Amino acid sequence: MAAHSRGHPAMREREFSPAGTSPYWWIRPCAGPILFLSLLFLFLFLFTAAAASAAAPEEEKFTEELLLRPLPDRKALAHFHFRSSAPPAASVGRHHHLFPKAISQLVKKYHISELELSFTQGRWNYEQWGGFDPMSTNNAKPPGVELWAVFDLPLSEIDATWKNLTHTLSGLFCASINFLESSTAFSAPRWGFKLNEGNLRYGALPREAVCTENLTPWLKLLPCRDKAGIASLLYRPSIYKGYYHSQKLKLRSSQSLGIILDQTLTVVLQPNTVSGEQLHSNHGQLQPNWSMRHLFNRKLSGKCLVSKSSRVFIEVDKGIVDNVNKSGSDLSWSNEFFVLSNSPDKLIKGQNHVEIQSSFLYVYDASNYTEEKPLDVGITWKLPLVWTCTPSPFHASRFLMGSGNERGSIALSFMSTNLHKQISGSPTDCSIKAVIFQVVPWYVKVYYHSLEIFIDGSRKTVSEVVDKIHVIPSEDKLLPGTLEMLLRFPCSMQSGTLTLDFDKGFLHIDEYPPDANQGFDIPSALVSFPEFSSARSYPEIDPVLGSPLLENFQEDSVVKSYTEVLLVPLTTPDFSMPYNVITFTCTVLALYFGSLLNALRRRIGEEERELKKTVVILKKWQLLASILYRKFVDELF
Amino acid sequence: MAEIAGDEAPTPPPPISGEVSTDPYTSIPASTGSNNPPLRTTKPGVKRLILTASVLLSFLVGLPFLLKSTEIHRSPLPSDAITGLAHRLHSAPPSFPCGLHAVFLRSVPDRSDASLTRRLEQSISAQLQLLPATSTAGNVSVSVTVESAGGCSSSSSSNVDSGWQCGTVTSADLVIGDEVFDELLHSALGSGRGDGSRVYTVVVVEVDDAEGMRVVVGKHRHAWVVGKADEVKAVSVIGKVFAKYFMNGGIEEGEAGIGKGEFMPVGSDGNVVLSFSLLNADPSDWVYDWDFEKIGERMLNPVVEALRPIAEINIESQVLYHTPKSSYSYSDDKLGGNVLSMGDIPFFVNSNEWHLDTSTSATGRSKVLQFVVYIPSARECPLYLQLPDGRLSKTNAFISPMWGGVLIWNPPDCSLDSKKTHGTRKKMSSQELMETIEIFIGQLRQLFGLKPSYLSQDMDMPTKFVVSEKGFTEWELDLLYRHHACSNLLSCLTTLESLSSLVRSLPRMIVMDEIGRQVELSLEAANLAQGNATLGISDSSAVHATRARALAEDAFFHPSIMSISYASIEHYFAIYMPFFAPVSLHVLLAAIKELKRYKAERAKYSAFLASQATSS
Repeated sequence: MAAHSRGHPAMREREFSPAGTSPYWWIRPCAGPILFLSLLFLFLFLFTAAAASAAAPEEEKFTEELLLRPLPDRKALAHFHFRSSAPPAASVGRHHHLFPKAISQLVKKYHISELELSFTQGRWNYEQWGGFDPMSTNNAKPPGVELWAVFDLPLSEIDATWKNLTHTLSGLFCASINFLESSTAFSAPRWGFKLNEGNLRYGALPREAVCTENLTPWLKLLPCRDKAGIASLLYRPSIYKGYYHSQKLKLRSSQSLGIILDQTLTVVLQPNTVSGEQLHSNHGQLQPNWSMRHLFNRKLSGKCLVSKSSRVFIEVDKGIVDNVNKSGSDLSWSNEFFVLSNSPDKLIKGQNHVEIQSSFLYVYDASNYTEEKPLDVGITWKLPLVWTCTPSPFHASRFLMGSGNERGSIALSFMSTNLHKQISGSPTDCSIKAVIFQVVPWYVKVYYHSLEIFIDGSRKTVSEVVDKIHVIPSEDKLLPGTLEMLLRFPCSMQSGTLTLDFDKGFLHIDEYPPDANQGFDIPSALVSFPEFSSARSYPEIDPVLGSPLLENFQEDSVVKSYTEVLLVPLTTPDFSMPYNVITFTCTVLALYFGSLLNALRRRIGEEERELKKTVVILKKWQLLASILYRKFVDELF
Repeated sequence: MAEIAGDEAPTPPPPISGEVSTDPYTSIPASTGSNNPPLRTTKPGVKRLILTASVLLSFLVGLPFLLKSTEIHRSPLPSDAITGLAHRLHSAPPSFPCGLHAVFLRSVPDRSDASLTRRLEQSISAQLQLLPATSTAGNVSVSVTVESAGGCSSSSSSNVDSGWQCGTVTSADLVIGDEVFDELLHSALGSGRGDGSRVYTVVVVEVDDAEGMRVVVGKHRHAWVVGKADEVKAVSVIGKVFAKYFMNGGIEEGEAGIGKGEFMPVGSDGNVVLSFSLLNADPSDWVYDWDFEKIGERMLNPVVEALRPIAEINIESQVLYHTPKSSYSYSDDKLGGNVLSMGDIPFFVNSNEWHLDTSTSATGRSKVLQFVVYIPSARECPLYLQLPDGRLSKTNAFISPMWGGVLIWNPPDCSLDSKKTHGTRKKMSSQELMETIEIFIGQLRQLFGLKPSYLSQDMDMPTKFVVSEKGFTEWELDLLYRHHACSNLLSCLTTLESLSSLVRSLPRMIVMDEIGRQVELSLEAANLAQGNATLGISDSSAVHATRARALAEDAFFHPSIMSISYASIEHYFAIYMPFFAPVSLHVLLAAIKELKRYKAERAKYSAFLASQATSS
């Protein structure tokens, strides 16, 4: 029989409870002053005092920020951003003051130059919540777990390192990231996801459930955890009640930068308003009023003491800004449409690449507030207001076609949002570039030659639309299929559709997950529009403000959107099948064997005689019976 | 009825072949009342019997082949070698031979002859017999050198060579101070000795004008006694110093410590991570930071180097915030602060809030020793540990064996108004950090089973210990190596024995070749360690013992051992039963039937033959 060896030497972080591991606790007074070492220490002291005065190296820093934004569909967005940074130093991975030791050891051990890990529950609503701002391009993530990493290693070592990394991360974050270890689960995109030299690995687990057990280790990386500062707002029942929840960890590391760790948590919440206010909203489309207490059930009482800066932003969308500007009033914190509950410390105007004016930020410094005077910033609406968020150039969605357990096709559809008209008044012969990146598991065998493209209902040849295509075909039980495709759509296109046919493969009985009948998930595809940048600029702020959140918003990033996760039902076998097959085959064999044996030792002549004999006996019995009957009848009559 | 029976009676035996099926069967039927057995006139055929028997036989012959082909892979473990090792270790625990060299430096010109040295040597040997022996030390060979202005004579009876060079040290050198004299002695003894066997030297320096005797234990493998002493006294001091310190590390009978059943805080793969954490219980009162990477590293590196044969040590540090303790302290005005009594110490470490994570460098089965500096919040500051006798602990620290140590550090502005310092970040001063690390080194010594420091009143005369910058003196390290080698060998043996008994008790367990190889390597390393131990090379023995233990543990915790559940005996039966149960039933029944029938028919035939014989 085949020897199954399961269980890889997983490198798991061990939870360590000292009281549990050592049953003996003793006090041992160190009797008397310790004499030894004193000479040396005197010398050392002099030496270090001299050394300390020589250089004042860069320090590890921590900042915390929170951005709140009302959304058009009566919800509110909260985006937490924590940045820890460690300067480049020899002691990285060994001696730390603020930066989490576990992360720096991870970076050092696996030679990571970039890494992003996100845990998401729910799907970002690109139509309602925006598709053209830094929030949606950087913080809208596909459901489940997404992990990508760029390694600073020779190409031959990357796959092995990735495997170890997934195990370490799954231990660190209490998640099943180790399922990304298998070569069928990750891919190496070259340009469709992020331009790289083959040192990037990408993997996604669409079905991973995200809950507090993932948040707790994430919070452990913050110096104050959720004991103080902005993270103390993370009241679990509130944040997990939301419509969208995405917890992200992004690492950047280089010789010159050191390590920068960005931890973000993006949640979309329904403000938990009291019923009286909801009554009020019945007349007219008045937005719900909310404050921090409504959203999180908490107020902010001061900053995390070790953080360099601690700020709360309230962002007001372009839609609202336009409305307010139209009405002629200025955008102070108290205007005729809304009023903020606290007067902000600062007001920042934001711009995006195409527009002059895009959004307003009201800044509050959390260090001005204390336990006695907590910050509970909120927004109260005075007039009903309807606005929309700027969408991405095309609304991308993906769905399955076909029926049965044999074959089907994947369709990607693009619906124009007519953004280019708003932006540039569009000459009719212009075109918009779109990049599609899609990873398909091997058991969905996509026939890439069957790619068909329809633009506004009419079929186009591939060469008309596709500029560049890079396909890594799937290999059974070895490689997932990866598709990277650069498309060029005409500006006038209203709807475009791409279809790809696929066959459904068969899995080995051991490869089915426990809930195989639920179907199999195909991870989200990523659609990006390289000609559109979602970067904001804040011309009025001085760079000394040092807000990592706004820095991230200013970074040049292309507009991206993730499509839906697809659920493919595959033929699921009867899982008791192997035993059934064994039993059935054995029964047939046993029958055959038995009858063969019987046939071999059969004595036909003897049997015939026996048969005859029985016939004779029967005859005898008949005779006897008839005689008896006759006698009986005779006696009777 | 007789007629009827007669009708169907005799079928003549067919002429062709011995077709048994035709069954020549002369029925002289019994229906007439005669109970004669039916007779047959021909010999019963054996064709069907042979056929069924051959089928049965082929099944029986095939059975071992089937068992062989479905056998699971089991690498043969050298269980004989394991029991051999166990036998060797139990009958003769590793003992390290070492030597004691006594040097008498006489100020008076004296006629030193061989008889004197021999006498001294014998009396020292006798003295050593009286003192309690240690478990790890083997036989001690003694030699004596008497040096005086007149000359230098050594006992030649034993081959102990401490490398003592006569005339390099005189009693006049004592004035230069103990530390320098220690180094002088070290150079006089010649540091580079090749044979590896440990020779400890006790030098008796006779000084006339000294008021009493004074013992100094150096940081290398020697001690010296200064003072005017007669021979008997000197011999007893030499014996005591050797047995008490060089052999036992100053640990008295009944005291917990090295060699008293305590484990070494070293991971089974020989790695130890010393994780230093600075815990700010409540950062809203004050936040302290430290310069550990500079000072700590420099102070701890010699320690790391010294302990290398025992363990590969990594040092890490971090600062944590919002880490309250989980036990209660009470305010005591008399002592001027908050007091934590000894009974509360087991609850001091707050494993919920203290995220003293393990480290990625502590992979596998290595050990993390946590050293924690706890800075109390303003409310509970200053915080003191109270000893059971009511006094306050001088170091304000405690250890937990196999876990690490905790030190409570009360910040200097503790007694000041806390509001003044609100929210500022301060640094622990270098002086204070160094004191802290000193205490931690003391705790590390304790964790390894040595005394944190020696009491000078242990001997009945003033005793001084020269301290090493390594934290561990050479003779202490010898002690550690010896003990470590022994305990690792025993632990390696226990692991191997458990593995071999496990493998024996689970016949369906898959044993990969790699496990077998690891076991072999482990045994090899254990044998090397033992060999080195008998030669007295303690550090290399410790290295090999560590390796043996690591390999044994690797074999025991090999991930493939998990695969046992995939080759269970139930599984085996479930697969083969549906075929073999019905088929073997058929075969067996057929064979039995044929045999029975053959016997019956033969009986008929023999009856027929008998009747033929009688009738003829």
